[in-house]
Amino acid sequence: MKIFIVDDEGIVLESCRRVLESEGYDVAYAKSVDEALMVIDPKDIVLLLIDIKMPFHDGIYLMNELKKQGKIIPTILMSGLNTPEIIAEAKKTGACQFLAKPFTPDELLKAVRQVIT
Amino acid sequence: MIHSIRFRLILCLLIVSFLVGGISLLIGSQLLYNSMTHEAQKHSRLALNATHDVYNAHVKFIKTALVITTLGAGFRSSVVNKDLSDLAVRINRLAENAELDFAGIVTGDGVPLSKLSPLSILDQISLQGNPLVRQAIHQRRLVAGTIVFSQDFMILENPELAKRLQNLPGNEPEPAICMAIAAATPIFENLNGENLVGVIYGGILLHQSMSIVDSIPKSFFFDNIQSDSNTLAVNIFFNNVCIATNMVDENGKRTFGAQVPDDVRQQVLIRGNQWTSRQQDSTGRNLVSYDPICDILGKRVGMLSIAISESNYLSLQHKFILYLSLAILASVILAIVMGIFLTHRIMQPIHRLIKASQEVSDGNLIHDLGSISKDKEIAVLQVMFWKMVKSMKRRRMESQTQIIQSEKQASIGRLAAGVGHEINNPLTGVLTYTHMLLRRKDISDDIRSDLNVIAESTERVRKIVKGLLDFSRQTLLDPELMDINQLATSTIKLMENQALLKGVLVQFKPGADIPMMIIDRNKIESVLLNILINALDATKPGDTITIQTTTGVSADDVGHMGVEIVIADTGCGIPSKNLNKLFDPFFTTKEVGRGTGLGLSVSYGIVKEHGGTIRVQSEINKGSSFFIWLPLNQQHLEKQDQEKPGQ
Repeated sequence: MKIFIVDDEGIVLESCRRVLESEGYDVAYAKSVDEALMVIDPKDIVLLLIDIKMPFHDGIYLMNELKKQGKIIPTILMSGLNTPEIIAEAKKTGACQFLAKPFTPDELLKAVRQVIT
Repeated sequence: MIHSIRFRLILCLLIVSFLVGGISLLIGSQLLYNSMTHEAQKHSRLALNATHDVYNAHVKFIKTALVITTLGAGFRSSVVNKDLSDLAVRINRLAENAELDFAGIVTGDGVPLSKLSPLSILDQISLQGNPLVRQAIHQRRLVAGTIVFSQDFMILENPELAKRLQNLPGNEPEPAICMAIAAATPIFENLNGENLVGVIYGGILLHQSMSIVDSIPKSFFFDNIQSDSNTLAVNIFFNNVCIATNMVDENGKRTFGAQVPDDVRQQVLIRGNQWTSRQQDSTGRNLVSYDPICDILGKRVGMLSIAISESNYLSLQHKFILYLSLAILASVILAIVMGIFLTHRIMQPIHRLIKASQEVSDGNLIHDLGSISKDKEIAVLQVMFWKMVKSMKRRRMESQTQIIQSEKQASIGRLAAGVGHEINNPLTGVLTYTHMLLRRKDISDDIRSDLNVIAESTERVRKIVKGLLDFSRQTLLDPELMDINQLATSTIKLMENQALLKGVLVQFKPGADIPMMIIDRNKIESVLLNILINALDATKPGDTITIQTTTGVSADDVGHMGVEIVIADTGCGIPSKNLNKLFDPFFTTKEVGRGTGLGLSVSYGIVKEHGGTIRVQSEINKGSSFFIWLPLNQQHLEKQDQEKPGQ
């Protein structure tokens, strides 16, 4: 059960890794969209956790790229700019969940469990 | 100029003075003219009667002269004895003293004994031509009066009269006749009146006679009326032809020969009436009165006339008209002066107002109108203008405040968005690590307690950042057709229990006929709730919060219809120094942790997005009122709808 996290913020990556690993999930991550696009393999990834606002290419771009490549993976989008517009945009790209930053470990796990039943 | 108040006022005053003056002039002159005419006619009749008296006096004078002659010593015997030389002397003396044109003595049979001119053979027939003598012989008594003679007889009596009978105009009947005043008295042999021995006669030919007509004006008492006696014209007419007059033409000749108009002839000669008519001649208008003259047989043979110039009477009327015209002129001048004075009085403050209006339209709202006018209407206008300028000043300040507020809002929004986003990432770390630590069983209670403080504080930070982002986001409205009263009712319900607990009365006064509005239900609800919560915080038990809805025009944009929601409380009020900071983000007077200072700021943004305005009035210890005005015509919302993708 590998969960892949994409975020430009180290502290977020580290936080997520700590929480998810403590719950027994495998965690891999990338610090940028370009890096993620090179690494992501849908075969062994059950969930993507993607930040929306990132330098160069953003999370939405990543989702669209994956869709283009035929890599359909359940996704939770997260953002510190949690306005209704961002949430609506996230839903539109086909993300399963939107997670507003900052979140507590419980909130993260709840979202993850809703996707991976 | 024509449309100026001054012109119109003066015109009105002029019209009034002209109307009053003109009408009184018209009526007055007419009345005066009537009474003057009446007076003139009365005078004219009086003069005519006097003239007739003078005429009759002349007849009487002839009569008296004849009688005196008959009483002369030896006269009777001279007649009886036919002493022709003595009789000729007596006749000449008589004619000379009495200024007779003709005189003579005939026998009781009518045979001429003596006369002014020498006797001739023709005198034998003269008895036929002398109706006077005939009458005297026939009646055996004195006969006197106006008599018509044949001209032939008259010339025979006194050849010198022939030239006075010449050039008589008009179609004289044949044989030619003439008019005279004369008398004849019979002479008896003795005093008891028996045995008629002769008749003495004498008279004055009226044709071109001057003695009567000239004597009349002089003898009149009304010289004081007829100041110039020459203007009194006396005429004697034989039939309808003037035969004697006191009027002279420019060559000094008497102007007889004229004929009277036919209507005068009809009235006087044929009907025998006294008649007064108004006639125009070269000297002006005259009032002419006619009186018929009857001969000794009672037949109307001529007329006496007297003409009084109307100018004397008219001059009075002219004087009246002149004085009244002067009075009208004076009132006209007065009207103009008064008009100028009045308009100056009225227009001076108006001109000041005009000047002030110009300055106001140029943007200068500070203008002194000078002293308030004593005229009530003008004073009202001045006060209203002053109030208008004052309210314009207030609104200008308000709109300036609003502009500043919007700018603040926009820049703080951008800042908040950036900061919020940046803070959220580290906050995720803080939250995660704190909670991870709290999950550990091997920590002591005091560490756990400290960690809880960190977690709670971080929660607070999270809320603040969330508020910041709410404030900053330029979210699109989700408009729908709403009943404002219904929305207010449902919003009030949300805080009613809190108010009840605190002991604050919440009143809702829904306005009637409030139209349905297109608004974002959730956002307007949050605005109302926000202000209501603030009101609740500002009140103490026993206070009242009143919510009222009305339709009203915009305070900024005159004529723009909308709905106003007023939320008024009787709470502590807002200090005036805080009033202009009220809508600033992060401005709060609440204790730390109770408010973020974003509520009113966000409310302001929402109302603004709806195209509305939000204002506050507050008085310390009396309470505060929030006025939320939302426009009815919300084109900007429709525009947003179109921009919304996918909708």
